[in-house]
Order: sequence, then C-alpha cells, then structure tokens
Amino acid sequence: MIEVENLTKIYGKKDTTFTALNEINLKIENKSTVSIIGKSGSGKSTLMHIMSGLDEPTSGTVKIDGIDIFAMKEKKIDAFRSSKMSFVFQSFFVEANATCYQNVLLPLEIAKVGITKRKQMVLDALKAVDLEDKVNAKASTLSGGQKQRLAVARAIVNKPSILFADEPTGNLDSINGDKIMKLLFGLNKSLGCTLIIVTHDPDIAKHTSMRILIKDGQIEGIEKGRK
Amino acid sequence: MRFSDIIKRSLRNLLTSKARTILTALAIAVGTFALTLTLGASNGAKDYANNIIKSNFDPTELIVAKDKNLFSQQDASKPQVYNPSFGSVTTFGGGSRQVEYLNNADIAKIASTPGVSSVQPNITVSLQYVTRDGQKKYIGTLATYNSYQKPTLLAGSIPDNIPNGQVILPQGFLSSLGFSSASSAIGQNIRLSVQNNTSLNSALINPFATSATQDSSKSQESVFKIIAVSETPSTSISAQTSLYMYSNLNVVESLNNYIYSGTSSYQKYLEAYAKVTDGSNASKLNKAQALIKKEGYSVQSVVDTEKLITQFISVIEGIVTLFGLIAIIASLFGVVNTMYISVLQRTREIGLMKALGMHRKDISWLFRIEAGLIGLFGGMIGSALAIGIGTALNPFISNKLSLGTSKLLIFKASQIVILIIVLAVIAVFAGLLPARKAAKLDPIEALRTE
Repeated sequence: MIEVENLTKIYGKKDTTFTALNEINLKIENKSTVSIIGKSGSGKSTLMHIMSGLDEPTSGTVKIDGIDIFAMKEKKIDAFRSSKMSFVFQSFFVEANATCYQNVLLPLEIAKVGITKRKQMVLDALKAVDLEDKVNAKASTLSGGQKQRLAVARAIVNKPSILFADEPTGNLDSINGDKIMKLLFGLNKSLGCTLIIVTHDPDIAKHTSMRILIKDGQIEGIEKGRK
Repeated sequence: MRFSDIIKRSLRNLLTSKARTILTALAIAVGTFALTLTLGASNGAKDYANNIIKSNFDPTELIVAKDKNLFSQQDASKPQVYNPSFGSVTTFGGGSRQVEYLNNADIAKIASTPGVSSVQPNITVSLQYVTRDGQKKYIGTLATYNSYQKPTLLAGSIPDNIPNGQVILPQGFLSSLGFSSASSAIGQNIRLSVQNNTSLNSALINPFATSATQDSSKSQESVFKIIAVSETPSTSISAQTSLYMYSNLNVVESLNNYIYSGTSSYQKYLEAYAKVTDGSNASKLNKAQALIKKEGYSVQSVVDTEKLITQFISVIEGIVTLFGLIAIIASLFGVVNTMYISVLQRTREIGLMKALGMHRKDISWLFRIEAGLIGLFGGMIGSALAIGIGTALNPFISNKLSLGTSKLLIFKASQIVILIIVLAVIAVFAGLLPARKAAKLDPIEALRTE
C-alpha cells in the first residue's frame, strides 16, 4: 500500500515560492489501477515524482508497504526504486542507437540482476509487448507505438510492484494509445503490479479503479470504481 | 550497477559516437607517440652507453688518477695555480691545464691497497708512423689490450696474453696499408715507429734541422706481426679510438718509456686501472674505492662513468618527455570537453537511469570509465604507431648513426603497458568534472530536457 500523508511541496524561496502540492493525503491499495488527473501545472506529475522518490517533499511522508521512503538514505531509495518501481514516460526515453534487447536490459543492470537470468527476463518482457521479433533491432528503427511498447517492456522486465506511467499515450495516435493502455491494464492484471497513471485524458482515467483529481496542488476529489 | 556493466555501457556509448571518440583519442595518441618514442630512444641510448662502457671498461676495475679535477668539472672561471711538482702544462679539454700525474710509487701504493689485486697504468702511445713495405706512412695510436674488451674480429684470433711483437690491427688501416682483405693481413708484418720527445723538442727549438737527422738519431722502428683484424667498433668512446691498434702492456709500456725518456713525463701516467679482487661484488668494489680515495687519489668506478653518461641521456629524455606531457595535458582538455558534450547530449538518458534507480556514484563512474577508455584507446593508438614506425625506421637510423649492433629505439613492453595504463588513469581523472556534473543532475530536470 502507498500512504501519502500531509504531503506538501513548495518550490522557490522567500518571495518567489510556489506551492505545487498542498497537504495531500491519500492511500493506494496494492495491485490497484490509479489515475492522477488534472490540468497542466496542477501538480499531478510532482505528486508522481514524490511518490516514486524522484523528488523530495517539503513536508509530509510517503510510505510504501509501511516503509517511509524519505527516511532512507539516497542509495537505499535508489535501490528501492530499482527493485520495486518502474516508469513509462510520454517521450519513451528509449536509447535510439541501442537494440531493443539492450534497452530492456538497463533496469536489470541497474538492479544488479544475475547475468544468467537476464536474457530470459528480457525476452519475456519483449514477448509481453509483442516485440519478440525485434530483439536485435535498433530502437531507432521502431515506430512511435513500438517505441512506447519497448519502454513498457523495459518498465516491466524487473517485475516491479508499482508501475508509474506519466502521460503514456501523449505522443501516440489514438490506435496506438489504446493499444498501450490495453497493454498496461493487462500487465496490471498479469503481473499484479500497482499501476499509477498520470494523465489529463478522462477516457484513460475512466478505466482505472481509483481517480485522484488534482487542482492547484490540492486533491479536489477521489473517485473509486470503474466508470 | 556492476562494474563490468558500467564498462560495457561506456564502451557502447563511445562506439555510438565513433568520430568523436577517434578524434579525441587521436589527440592523446600524439602525446603518447612522442612519449613512446622518447622511452624507446632513451632505452636505446642507455643500452648503447652500456655497450660502450662494457666494451671499454672492466666493471671489476677502478680508474685511479692523481689529479683531483680529472673526474670532475674544474672551475673554468679562475686560472689554475701553477704547481712545480705537477707535470708540464698541456692542452686538456680545450684549455691549458697542468695535470698531476701518477708515478711508479703511486702505482705501487695503489697496488698495496687492501682489496686491490693489481694495478696497470693506462698507456696509449702516439706513434710517429705506421707503415708497411711499399706503402705510405700513417699516423697511429697503440693502446694496451685488455681481455674484457672482446672486439669483433674480421680475421685472426686473440690469445689471452698477446705475445711481444704482435698487434691487433683495426679495420680502418686495411686498405691504407695495402691489404685486400682482413684475412690477407693475418701473419703479415707492419712497422711502427715512435719518436723520443727530447728529439721532438729539439726539433721545435731548431726548426731548420733535417728530419733525416731526427729520425735516425731519436726514433725507433719496430716490426709487428698482425694476429687479428678488429671490426670498426660502434662503441668507441670517440672516433679516434676506432683506429687504435692494440698490443700487450709490456710492448706499449716500453715504447712509451722510449718516447718520454729524458723528459719530465717519463713513467708518469694520467690514470691507472686498479683491479679489485672479487670486484663484481659491489660492496667490495666500493670498499676498495673508498680506501684508494682515502689515500688522496681520484677514483671512478664503471658505475660512476655510467652515471655520468646516463645523466646526460636523462636530461635529454626529461626535455623530450616534458614536450610529450604537454601534448598529453593539452589532449586531456579535449577529453574533458568531449565528456561535457556527452553529458549534455545524454541528459535525458541520465535522467532515465536515475529514475530507474541508478546511483549517482555509478553514473559518475559511467562517464569516468568512458574518459578512461578514450585515454586507453589514445594510448594504444599512439604507442602502436610509435612502435610500428620506430621499428620500421630503426635499422635505417641505427645504420646512419653508426650504432653497429645497437639500436636507436628499444621498446620495452612493460614500459608501454605502464604508459598506457597511466594515460587511462589520468583520463579517468580528466573525466571527473563532467562525471560529477552528470551525477549531480536532477533526474526530473534531466527528463524534462528537450
């Protein structure tokens, strides 16, 4: 379970401060699908960054399975993130000159997974996103939809407990966008990971079991149950 | 991330930007090329110096002189005080000097020093002329043969003790004395003439005296049989010594005595060789050296001579090394620049790696290793080029410089390996600043970078 308590994030100093998040409190059940919805600048990405330990809050705590992640040292947070979390970004962030295999291998290298296990894990991940025939293809040769699927393969290769997806369909056409969302929801079920999607698209949000509406850094409402 | 994964990833990143990597590595290669050649030339020069020393000096002997300034630099800014007990004033090292000579009493005193087995004065006789029937007369020098010299022979053989009346002829005299080959000279006679110095002095006083008078009254011509012909050595101390003829000490000494009889230089020697019992043992050699020095003589061992020669080589080596190092330092700025560009180009990748849990220390190592690999490649390219070109040109240059069997460039694998490793390590340090920048990047900002 992810527990967020009294989370506040203020950027800047003295006269130029900006409150990105203000006293956020929420609980996310394991294996659930969650969407964080809000307009641009509402604070939804900041909330995701803090929940994943990429950014630090000004005050408040984030506990994952009872562990306060900001009470840990930086190295421990990194190790925690590499073993428990993963990300899919709007801009894919795949290494264009590397092969699909090398792209998916990255999280395993970071998590120091044993060399003998790696190959099968990468192949399984690529198979899960229907890219098993592109193992040795360079990422630069893939289409936009394929690149995002490759990014999803990279995100799931380590079998994370929490998968953060920041506007995962933002750079895709509607057909590829739908494919990616089906893939992500399918992986939520097959892998049993918590899926947290940051989006401004209500069509995507309606498929999640929990919707957190954010406005001006505050939770405007939390809806539960699929629409 | 495992260190092996960091190396693999760094290598892949370098190969992604091949042109940039090669150009930066080439900049390092220039410095490495210079340093590799410097090391090779230094090794070659030291080897050549060792060969000269080995061929000209017995390592178990000490060179002893009475003159305090013979083995050290005399203060040339002030005139030398005249000493009536010293020998006559002579031209020495480009200036007029009065040198204190060893006499037979000194030789006996040195010989009685504990640890010294024998003492032999260093005698080199300037011949009035060398000739053969039907040939011109030539100026020559006769020196004492020492068995450690082991010259390369073109013909004949040298016994342990050269019998009286026999001589080793240098290659340079062959055609001048009318011999068609080295082997044809063996067993043939040549005539060596020496002139008494008192006769020479009188000739100088009376320049109108006829040469015939001088020759007949104050010259001595002896017949010598050629037992061996020596190859012109590439390890002569000077060009003149390559034309030295050699015979035994008795012969050379008697001719020397004839030359100087009736003069103040009779049985006076500039230096002598003191053979030390078990002289290959450094401590015994040093002990004998200290004892002779205590008696008031100047003493120099082969090690001292070697130091003197290698000191000069080291100075030259230091200067060239400095230029090489400057080139490498300049190229390291190229590495820093390349790595900064790499960090800028891969900002989003760094952000992603951080998001996926890569620790900043590992990110720093990723860039440091990249810099180190550039240094490694540069070092390997530079050294390989230097070894390749050096090895190809070595015979030609060595021949032009008349180094004989010695080589101008001697490359030692251990030195090259150390040089390349040191370069790689220095490059790792050069990558420190860009690596630090990469490690400190805020992952969120990095991911937002366009």
